[in-house]
Amino acid sequence: MHLVVILDLSKHWLDAQSSLPFSRFLVHLQAFLNAYKAASTDSQLAVFAAAPGRNLLLYSDHEKGSLNETDPNAYPSFTLVGSTIAEKLAALYSDLEVLDEPCSLVGTLINALCYINKAITTGQCTPETDEPRILVFSVSPDLSTSYIPIMNSIFSAQKLRVTIDVCQLLGPETVFLQQAAHLTGGSYLQLEATEALLQYLTMTFLSPPSIRATLAVPIQDRVDFRAACFCHKNIVDIGYVCSVCLSIFCQPIPVCSTCRTKFPAKLVLQLKASQLPGITPQTSQASSTRAASAPSRADAPGTADFDVSMHSDPNSLPRYTRNGKA
Amino acid sequence: MDVDSDDSDIEISSRNKGKGKATAKKPKAIRTEAISAQPYTWEENFARSWDTVTEDATGSLQTTVDDLQARSRRRRLLHPSGTALRRTIIRHLVLLLDLSAAMADRDMRPNRWGLTLEHARVFVAEWYDQNPLGQMAVVGMRAGLGERICSMTSSVQDVLKSISEKHKLEPSGEPSLQNAIEMARSAMSHLPSHASREILILFGSLTTVDPGNIHDTIDACAKAKIRISVVALAAEMKVCREMCERTSGQFGVVMNEGHYKDLLLELVPPPAQVGASSAGRIGGDAVSTAPKANLSADLLMMGFPTRLPHSAMAALCVCHSELKSEGFLCPRCLAKVCDVPTDCDVCGLMIVSSPHLARSYHHLFPVGAFTVVTTRAEAEADACFACARPFPPIATSGGAATGGGDGVSPYGRYRCPKCSREFCADCDLFVHEVIHCCPGCGK
Ligand SMILES: [Zn+2]
Ligand SMILES: [Zn+2]
Ligand SMILES: [Zn+2]
Ligand SMILES: [Zn+2]
Ligand SMILES: [Zn+2]
Ligand SMILES: [Zn+2]
Repeated sequence: MHLVVILDLSKHWLDAQSSLPFSRFLVHLQAFLNAYKAASTDSQLAVFAAAPGRNLLLYSDHEKGSLNETDPNAYPSFTLVGSTIAEKLAALYSDLEVLDEPCSLVGTLINALCYINKAITTGQCTPETDEPRILVFSVSPDLSTSYIPIMNSIFSAQKLRVTIDVCQLLGPETVFLQQAAHLTGGSYLQLEATEALLQYLTMTFLSPPSIRATLAVPIQDRVDFRAACFCHKNIVDIGYVCSVCLSIFCQPIPVCSTCRTKFPAKLVLQLKASQLPGITPQTSQASSTRAASAPSRADAPGTADFDVSMHSDPNSLPRYTRNGKA
Repeated sequence: MDVDSDDSDIEISSRNKGKGKATAKKPKAIRTEAISAQPYTWEENFARSWDTVTEDATGSLQTTVDDLQARSRRRRLLHPSGTALRRTIIRHLVLLLDLSAAMADRDMRPNRWGLTLEHARVFVAEWYDQNPLGQMAVVGMRAGLGERICSMTSSVQDVLKSISEKHKLEPSGEPSLQNAIEMARSAMSHLPSHASREILILFGSLTTVDPGNIHDTIDACAKAKIRISVVALAAEMKVCREMCERTSGQFGVVMNEGHYKDLLLELVPPPAQVGASSAGRIGGDAVSTAPKANLSADLLMMGFPTRLPHSAMAALCVCHSELKSEGFLCPRCLAKVCDVPTDCDVCGLMIVSSPHLARSYHHLFPVGAFTVVTTRAEAEADACFACARPFPPIATSGGAATGGGDGVSPYGRYRCPKCSREFCADCDLFVHEVIHCCPGCGK
């Protein structure tokens, strides 16, 4: 087994009060990582963090630290994981005050893929038996500017046969991570009850992908296949696509900005005319059902509490509905 | 090991003349010159060994690695960012493989069957690369029956996997063109009328065992606008040529191994339905000749659907009026359709899955080549930025490090000019050939 964990250390999570404080999350994470380590002797682990302005490796089996004091009541490799992560985090924390840059979750995802690729090329990991996978803990909304890097990472993961699991701890659903999990055969989990995090983790993400088919792991709910337009980085559900280079635009344009192809003027006029007021991507008030299923739309907070009962299925457990107060 | 060193590139191409043409170049180039340049079977005596080489005489993989790098470099040179690489929007192809006893013939090395599978893999990968929204199915002809090997899918991995399971594809019996074509036709019967439908037959036999009149089948295909192309391994059969002519497909008879591959790769670019208008576009302005909407440059309105899981509430689909849970919702009218890409039956919007479009984006925004770290002063980082593995320590004693030159860093370090992070050789390769995004500047 080969697991790479990615933590999204966005400043808004570390600083502010939320339903899931970072310290409590760490406790759950430590228990989960211990369970993973205990499941098999040859299980390999690495933990990456996307911190403001930098990506860093928090723990890796290949970079063995040493234990300062040994607790006779603790299994040394558990303590090693915990203390290494805690040390690195403490060092990071002291720097954080000065840094006010965005986190690059995508950059960390690419890091994780490079890490696994290196493990494969150096023979530390065989994709067939080790089933390498990446578990992303995300607390940020979609970064539509990172659409292309995210999609490229997804296709690279498919090539390497890496499964991407996503656990969205806070905030709205992320369209692109949802697609990442769906396209690589992983699970996407929108956390509802924060106090049950550990249970979610062990039920959903502990078992390797090949075993999940026989276990009743929570299945992925609806997958949103929306894309980000190249011109304004809006997330759109109806786009205008250049037939030469397949770039996506949110409104009809006369010349493709990517490949400089000119489009027939008449066609552009036709398309502009056919843009009905209710369906233009810029207006947020699409039909109410669509808005309910699309809470991550830029101006959706007002609509996020729509009744989504028509989408939720009483048989699937846990449910990934948006009105998570239930 | 620098991907951009000119020397290594030239070295490779001179080291394996002839065969290099078939493996390293894209079909466009091949079409123009390869048929004249390709050595014939009796002329080439060492070419096959190159195909299977994994280790060179010293047991190292360096030649293979070099070859890979040179290839990717050429690929990038041939498709520099911004130039229009023409892609069709929606294309469907059924690949018919002859798996009859005639395919065990050894007139091609290793035998017709082995070579066909090998070339089919190259063809499939190339086809998906150039037709990102395309879908392909594979049907085999064996023991008088049509056999579904892979159903219509947009995943290149699925197709490649299905045709690499050799033990399931052992040739035997007689082929039946009619049975196989009927199966292919039924696999494409549900497609919207504007979608292109094609059948490509790789045919090694000189006979066909059919239950009925094959001309009826050909008529039905012509009516359904299915284009049939045949690549014959043995000789020309009248029924095959007629089939291609009736359906305006292409027909070719293979002369040697290299020619086989060329014939296949010729079928990768989309068929020349819009030949006249695309020529006009290369000549310059599409706008002045524009009134008809369906010119080569088009702006298409597309919807990106929401996929419903198996556990969703069952509802009728608009395409077959069947009660089912899974499906895709049209983003405009919220009608449920069974599969994408398709046209919404209610509002007519073209519904595609956005990841299919995204498959080609790495061509549009390639990562600039990394520079080589050649001096000790430049080497700053402790570990590779991408994989976080520590760099080997640099010997403190002076003296030039060994193993430099040829664009290879003596310290195994490469630097991204944009974010100026350092990367190891493995990650340099991986970033440029697989991910196509720099982790340091990936935003
Ligand atoms: Zn836009
Ligand atoms: Zn374009
Ligand atoms: Zn249907
Ligand atoms: Zn519709
Ligand atoms: Zn590296
Ligand atoms: Zn960079």
